[in-house]
Amino acid sequence: MVHSVNRDRLAADLRDIVGERGVLARPSELLTYSSDGLPTYHKKPALAVFPHTRDQLVRTVRRLAAEGIPFVARGAGTGLSAGALAEGDAVVIGLNRLKQIISIDPVNRLALVEPGAVNVSLTRAASAYGLHYAPDPSSQTACTIGGNVAENSGGPHCLKYGVTLNHVVALTVILPSGEIVKLGNAEGESTGYDLLGAFIGSEGCFGIAMDVTVRLTRNPEAVRTLLADFTSIEDGARATSAIIASGIVPAAIEMMDGPTIRAVEASIYAAGYPADADAVLLIELDGLAAGMDADVALVERLCMEAGARTVRVARDEAERARLWQGRKKAFGAMGRIAPDLVVQDAVIPRTKLPDVLRTIHEIAEREGIQVCNVFHAGDGNLHPNISFDSRNADQSARVHRAMRAIMRACVEAGGTITGEHGVGLDKLEYMPLIFSDASLDAQCRLRDVFDPDRRANPGKVVPIHSCREWSLAPAARDRTRQEATA
Amino acid sequence: MTLSTSSAHISPSTAAVEDAIRAAADRREPLRIEGAGNWLDAGWPVTGTTPLSLADATGIVEYTPGDLTLTARAGTPLDEIARVTAAERQWLALDPFGPPTSTLGATIATASVGPLAHAFGTPRDNVLGLEAVTGDAEVVRTGGRVVKNVAGFDLTRLFTGSWGTLAVITEATVRLRALPEVEESWALIVDESPEELDALLTRLRFAPLEPLALELVSPSLASHLGVESGRVAALLVRLGGNEGSVRSQRELLRTLSRPVAAPHGVWHALRECEPERAAVARFSAPPSRMAHTWSAARNASGASTQTFVHASVGRGIARCILSVAESGAAERLVDAAARFDGTVIFERLPADLWPRTRSESATGESGTGRLARGIRSRFDPMNVLNPGILGEL
Repeated sequence: MVHSVNRDRLAADLRDIVGERGVLARPSELLTYSSDGLPTYHKKPALAVFPHTRDQLVRTVRRLAAEGIPFVARGAGTGLSAGALAEGDAVVIGLNRLKQIISIDPVNRLALVEPGAVNVSLTRAASAYGLHYAPDPSSQTACTIGGNVAENSGGPHCLKYGVTLNHVVALTVILPSGEIVKLGNAEGESTGYDLLGAFIGSEGCFGIAMDVTVRLTRNPEAVRTLLADFTSIEDGARATSAIIASGIVPAAIEMMDGPTIRAVEASIYAAGYPADADAVLLIELDGLAAGMDADVALVERLCMEAGARTVRVARDEAERARLWQGRKKAFGAMGRIAPDLVVQDAVIPRTKLPDVLRTIHEIAEREGIQVCNVFHAGDGNLHPNISFDSRNADQSARVHRAMRAIMRACVEAGGTITGEHGVGLDKLEYMPLIFSDASLDAQCRLRDVFDPDRRANPGKVVPIHSCREWSLAPAARDRTRQEATA
Repeated sequence: MTLSTSSAHISPSTAAVEDAIRAAADRREPLRIEGAGNWLDAGWPVTGTTPLSLADATGIVEYTPGDLTLTARAGTPLDEIARVTAAERQWLALDPFGPPTSTLGATIATASVGPLAHAFGTPRDNVLGLEAVTGDAEVVRTGGRVVKNVAGFDLTRLFTGSWGTLAVITEATVRLRALPEVEESWALIVDESPEELDALLTRLRFAPLEPLALELVSPSLASHLGVESGRVAALLVRLGGNEGSVRSQRELLRTLSRPVAAPHGVWHALRECEPERAAVARFSAPPSRMAHTWSAARNASGASTQTFVHASVGRGIARCILSVAESGAAERLVDAAARFDGTVIFERLPADLWPRTRSESATGESGTGRLARGIRSRFDPMNVLNPGILGEL
């Protein structure tokens, strides 16, 4: 922990850069920044600083570099892995004021934005040109492009269009040392190592994106949204597998199970899902108008063959928006069930969906807990959510035991521990389930090139003990010692 | 069909790579990494002398069609993957220029692409995970076998396109796609004047058209490919989708120009159009400047009938292929590249010309150059993996 005298001095220095109101230091003010979208974690940062301009950001990072102070970049704080939490002597650098959409190039379908630009505001700005920004996390009305870059965020429509990695063409990055580098190339092919690809999804551990050049996607000529309802989640899973195997690439295939449907329908986001169903699939097809009817008919047939009771096609934009709102606000709707919520993000091979969903159901029964499944079925990205009351110690223990069992089942099915939320703090303990020591060490080596002192988002993504050369980074070693004695 | 073997153990061919790297590091004898050997004559100044062949590291390790993913050993030829997946009406949508015997590992290591990149992206967009052996003989696994994965720092992207200089890829998992229900290719006659070309490309950009590939070919290449364009340039359009969607796109092409059916096998022929001894470079700039990029590449090629130029117009990249049998041709290409106000990447050149082509961004004192060198020294500390292939890293 920074001594309070030093902290006050640092706060004063940072105020010189960003102005009086750009630095938060009082415990009450810092409360907002002590958790993210996953409310089970709380860490209090030393300070929070909010640059208004890229120049202020550069000076802030350089000031922290000169003092050897760790920092955590934060966008809107909607992350679901406790990735944007800072503690002890670390300073939160809030990027939400750097929200300018600098330029849009409609001919080359590119946009240059600041890291704090809100995801949906980019799509709104691009819509004037018949374009949109494809990655659409459920938090898109709040989350920032910089945060999306850090997490390599996905979203329902990533089934067809790909994740953030596939849509970012260049970045200007300030490294933890204060040096500015350009990664990728918006004006042609990239040369050399794919440092852009390495940076995307590095969860704030490699530096801070100062500006982001993203690819925009042409709005589809036609969009059809279907809702299929099933009396068993396995039937829904079989329908998903059948659609994927048919060769049609829907823009999205989302599944919600019975408990999720009922939570949504009981909330202000009620979407008109059949409340007695055990699963619904929200399927969106988009693309050229020609040939669309044939694809819709095929998807309908595959759902019916898999046991759907009904398949309904949204008649107009209003109905379509309503069906989607229920899906995108499902997390919020679960807040009605219990005060606390844990969210998982495992990905499994798509053919394993029926088996793994059955296993998750069995685990929930065994532990006497309620799991709500709402997820990207089309790419096998599960989001089992467990609502619980953390004040109930026994229930908490059962929930955490269930989480671990679910994660193991997903990994044993050939899956991975996170598809779009990131590792952060939340999934650190699972990293050795999927990576060997040598593989984790290789990840540490990459990090050390970008951030040799390990001051950028310390303690996240790769468990500390996995880094064999840990002792070679003196600043980091000192910090570990402090953490150990804290 | 489901082929599956346990992935927990290290396969004999990976162990052999591990041993070879360890021995090379001990003896300070740099390795030259080989797949099918198709690119070894590309002229790069690799100082590695001891060959490390992945030719025996072949075979499909796991293929579950319902998952649309496939795991194969690095030395597996692309045509074998194509054969196995076609039986399930699927494909790996990567068609790098060069012979179909090119290996999966080399395609990923060199990030090589072909016309399908227009719709399906490059290897970085299609690779899900790798097994690779680093320069200090550590076997690492990156990514995974599922289609979406953000666990850990992205070594998959780092190794893809790193030309074997960080790790030797021994196995890869890739994303597959379903083969389109209907597929057909057309050739449109194209007027190469910048104004006409610009106008056509603008119309295409806004048209309800979603081609799998869109490749402009120079008159000499059109004629080599057997396109009946009457010695003018042609735009090859590969359409795919269901019956209705392909029909409507075909109709649309008729409103733009007078399309003729492209010759059977035209895409294979395009992939293999390079003469044995060639100098090859790619010119790239934003797609809106395609007409300009095209004329730069066309001018670099000169008037010789032995030169071919083709361009992925949606991606803004023109590829210029010259026969080095013609004296001065390769020098002309290097000179034209130096004058081009965009990015130029060389694929093949006579060895003596390479030193004149190195871009500062990859190797210079810039921040990215420093990062690249730092990565290189951490993943290949003894400098035994393909040293020199990316210049003086």
